Amino acid sequence: MTIGLFAVFIVITLGVTIWARVNTKGTDDFYAGGRAFSGAQNGLALAGDYMSAASFLGIAGIIALSGYDGFLYSIGFLVAWLLTLLLVELMRNAGRFTMADVLSYRVGRRPTVRTAAAVSTVTVSVFYLVAQMVGAGALVSLLLGIHPGETYMGISPEAAKVITILVVGMMMIFYVSYGGMKGTTWVQIIKAVLLMAGTLALTVLVLSRFGFNLSEMLGAADARSGRPGEFLNPGQRYAKDADGIVGKLDFVSLAVALVLGTAGLPHIVGRFFTVPDARAARTSVNWAIGLVGAFYLMTLALGFGAAALVGQQAITAQDPSGNTAALQLARAVGESVAGPVGGEILLAFIGAVAFATILAVVSGLVLASSTSLAHDFFGHVLMFGKPKESQEVAVARFSAFVIGVFAVFLAVLVRDMNVAFLVALAFAMAASANLPAIVLSLFWRRFNSTGVVCGVYGGLLGSIVLVALSPVLSGGPRSLLPPPVDFHVFPLENPGLVSIPFAFLCAVVGTLLSREKADPGRYSELSVRALTGAGAHGQSTKNVGGAR
Amino acid sequence: MQADDLAGLATDERFRLLKARFRRLALTIVGAFLGWYFLYIALSAFARDFMALPAIGNVNVALLLGVLQFVSTFALAWRYTRYARRMLDPLSAELRDEAGQRQAERERERRILAERHRIENWTRR
Repeated sequence: MTIGLFAVFIVITLGVTIWARVNTKGTDDFYAGGRAFSGAQNGLALAGDYMSAASFLGIAGIIALSGYDGFLYSIGFLVAWLLTLLLVELMRNAGRFTMADVLSYRVGRRPTVRTAAAVSTVTVSVFYLVAQMVGAGALVSLLLGIHPGETYMGISPEAAKVITILVVGMMMIFYVSYGGMKGTTWVQIIKAVLLMAGTLALTVLVLSRFGFNLSEMLGAADARSGRPGEFLNPGQRYAKDADGIVGKLDFVSLAVALVLGTAGLPHIVGRFFTVPDARAARTSVNWAIGLVGAFYLMTLALGFGAAALVGQQAITAQDPSGNTAALQLARAVGESVAGPVGGEILLAFIGAVAFATILAVVSGLVLASSTSLAHDFFGHVLMFGKPKESQEVAVARFSAFVIGVFAVFLAVLVRDMNVAFLVALAFAMAASANLPAIVLSLFWRRFNSTGVVCGVYGGLLGSIVLVALSPVLSGGPRSLLPPPVDFHVFPLENPGLVSIPFAFLCAVVGTLLSREKADPGRYSELSVRALTGAGAHGQSTKNVGGAR
Repeated sequence: MQADDLAGLATDERFRLLKARFRRLALTIVGAFLGWYFLYIALSAFARDFMALPAIGNVNVALLLGVLQFVSTFALAWRYTRYARRMLDPLSAELRDEAGQRQAERERERRILAERHRIENWTRR
């Protein structure tokens, strides 16, 4: 039944995508949806792009198993939007389609800067993509209730994983290469509405079981948690007292990456340009803040509700990391309202929503990276900024295919690993590679090409190398490589605390050491444009000055 | 849009005011939310006993402060938007219109010059 509901979602979104294809003519349409979305529409799409399965199933699961500590993720994910709100208008005014438009606006060696930005965009997107797709693979075997060693209609869990990853990959490639930003935006909007509706329904049903008394629900969750009296306190999962100061710093490092990463996520930045002007961009971020905030408050009810109604034992029996808590909760409350049939219906609905969630997020990521490859690398580096529009769009469609296939390949390869750390790593990379470069481009007069390049590569490599040398890969209790291998020298699993300051340092030192002089005229131009919107790429005025 | 038109506006008094207002606002908000967020994170990591104190029923201080993070995020977003509407938007609209007018004027001048050139060439023949 989940599959049936999901098929309905697919049919509707395919219809929208084909409609979008008919209405997509040039680069403005393909990359920015014709800049014709309203603030509210784009706000829904932003929320759709942002709320991944990791936050829907993952956070509900962490709260159900570790209580309060899961909530910390939600808070970081939401608070980060304030930074986005401050940057969105400046970015919308200064750029055209991508982050690279903003970074290359005022510097001397534009192709080098664009290449760096494209490398960073694609890397962050691919890491995030792989995490989402592996999650999708794991989800389907859980949804079908296949346990290792068993089969479902002759399909082994391994095969089910691979099939899911392939299907998700095919769908996302189709949405993006066929529908472009218009198609993808509508997919996001539909998904966001479904996700909010599903979460709201579930939340109301859960709370009604406790007479809408939060305290009572928390008490019940605490009582069934296996460690009553502690469940609601900090330190159940992160920075356990046993881990000492390293654990606490690791926790702070994660928090830093979450709060600074959002404004640099490629699929979020790409969405700044789909509205007619800066005011609409601001409105859309405000919508996103409202939606994302409401959503994460509701995950609180889902998580504690699952702990109280399903119970920790039943959750870990299904999946030790708790990813199925929200689904099990759906079945439990459905059953209590309308018997076994009700349980199955609600479970199917929430399962379909979870799939829609994954599909929409991966599409947003593929779109962001193919846009960057086509617009930044092909258009501005290979074609010296003078490609034919039709050519550039064709390259973008093709890049979506290449990146999609590559991500599918990687995801199939690592399908059995616990790749949850990739999400945190993607945030840390976005915060280290993209945010310093964006902020310094907008606010530091002396910033130059060398600074951008050093900042971007320094942040990117810094975070990857630190993770490679951390207990994530080797030498820790949950490392990816088996025990005898141990080359970890960096104690923290989350690199943000070091890699973000390091990226800022690289950017500043690179700028000061380079002989290249910043162009004060271009900087003034950029700041006037960013703050007033004069000369910004708009709906009516095509190609006025700017991103050359 | 002519580059020097934009760069020219950079020295305009009104633009300086706009920039100063934006920076003050942005710094206040960044300072407020980052400070409050990291205070909360630090409390979660280092002041566990305080966070575990009961606040309302089964809701402890940690959960209460967490929900307050949501409230403060909504409040700051609202505050920023209101301030931007009142103090930033009118100024930036004025400057933007002016830049647009300058551009239109320049465009007209260019067309007149081109026309004059054409006539001169024609009369010379």
